[in-house]
Amino acid sequence: MKGRLKGRVVLHVLGGAFILLGLGGIVAESEPWPWLVWFAGAAILHDAVLVPAVLLAGALTARLPAAGRRPVRVALIVAGALVLVALAMINSTGRRPDNPSILPLAYGRGLAVLLALVAAVTAVRLLWNRGRLRNRVRR
Amino acid sequence: MVRQPAVLGRARGRFSSRLHDERTASWLGVWLAVAFGTAFVTGLISHFMQHPPDWLRWPSRPVNLYRVTQGLHVIGGLATIPLLLAKLWTVYPRLLQWPPVRSARHATERGLVFLLVAGALFQLVTGLLNIAYWYAFPFPFTVAHYWTAYVVVGALLVHIANEWSKVRRTVMKRPEDGIDRRGFLFTVAAASAAVALTTAGETFSPLARLAVLAPRRVGTGPAGVPVNTTALAAGVSATARDGGWRLTVTGRVGRELSFTLAELRALPQHTERLPISCVEGWSAGATWTGVRLRDLLRMAGAADDARVRVESLQRGGPYRKSWVDPPHWKDPLTLLALDLNGAPLDLDHGSPCRLIAPNRPGVLQTKWLNAVVIA
Repeated sequence: MKGRLKGRVVLHVLGGAFILLGLGGIVAESEPWPWLVWFAGAAILHDAVLVPAVLLAGALTARLPAAGRRPVRVALIVAGALVLVALAMINSTGRRPDNPSILPLAYGRGLAVLLALVAAVTAVRLLWNRGRLRNRVRR
Repeated sequence: MVRQPAVLGRARGRFSSRLHDERTASWLGVWLAVAFGTAFVTGLISHFMQHPPDWLRWPSRPVNLYRVTQGLHVIGGLATIPLLLAKLWTVYPRLLQWPPVRSARHATERGLVFLLVAGALFQLVTGLLNIAYWYAFPFPFTVAHYWTAYVVVGALLVHIANEWSKVRRTVMKRPEDGIDRRGFLFTVAAASAAVALTTAGETFSPLARLAVLAPRRVGTGPAGVPVNTTALAAGVSATARDGGWRLTVTGRVGRELSFTLAELRALPQHTERLPISCVEGWSAGATWTGVRLRDLLRMAGAADDARVRVESLQRGGPYRKSWVDPPHWKDPLTLLALDLNGAPLDLDHGSPCRLIAPNRPGVLQTKWLNAVVIA
């Protein structure tokens, strides 16, 4: 018990020192105000926009029949992750005419293919669930 | 005491999913600790390879060490995005707890959680934007990403200290409440895997064709190797093509040397297979031919423990020159390359002459060399 308390204190001191080191570095070498806007802004955007959107999706999918709910939610989670990464590539301002090896792919098309794939897998799962349900009823 | 706004109470009562619980949060927390721990260590490796303190001498082997650590950093970081979002969704009801703060201690605890949440999101957002070459933020990426890492890891250590007993209790126990956490965790893992599979090919070439969301593709660019800074961007289009180009070896040498391109080609040539491993996570293996740096330094009579600086035709910029320590310049794989994949170097790959060494970040593989200086 005493050992665990000591471990907690050590972790708190170490953690506090790291935080101060990091904040000190930002103040000394980076641009603290724009940094703060992005730092706090990331949390605020996440808490006030992204999560409410996800909660809304959760509430909407809750209205689906039970057998379909799970596959649809799985699809939305996987697709959402892919969309986030793809959006960064699609909206990037980093393309340069002298360097075609930067962002060389058609990311919109790539994303469309991936989403179609997710949709197809989900459709198969839904059909499969329905088939199983029907078999159970027949028996 | 301020009364709880009714809307908050109603909102909290509507978190109907039973996945908003300790056990789900604990498992995701354990995964995240591993993910951020890995990113921190690999990030420090990358930082201190580029800015080594005086006492630190990086080894030149294993050849692919940096390629692996930086690939882990970037692809692992991308795969962490779904993990972090899932974890924050799981604990979201706690954001709305009432009263928001109960005591000074509770306020401190929540402040530290804010540092952890904001810092973790900041690292993933800036990291993703940076590898996408989308410099939407007004501050230099590397400095902010580096220092924020300490804030995140510090807040993470405090968080681990505070939550450890809870995690132990809930992870070690087999629950009998019938909640399908496994399905949810599996879904989150699948989202992470989907992100990793569609990006990892930019550094792990067997998966190259799957990497439809990766900002780089092996096989694009001159000689099939991607380029970071072009000759145009570096402002060397004219000087690198100048027929009067010379490579000089100067500084603390027995005798100063100066070579034309033809004279360099007349020296013993060596062909090696070495990767270009970029800090942005992509890498490409290639076949390089040129003169061993160590042969050149021996010709000039450099001391055994000399530190060597290679300099570029570039007029400025942070990567105009780079240091080559003894472990690297003594390595027979370290070349002043003249050819890439069987043809003379392309202008954008550093023609007429560039450094290529094992286990070294791409930004330090200095291009368009015109001087080797022994310190």
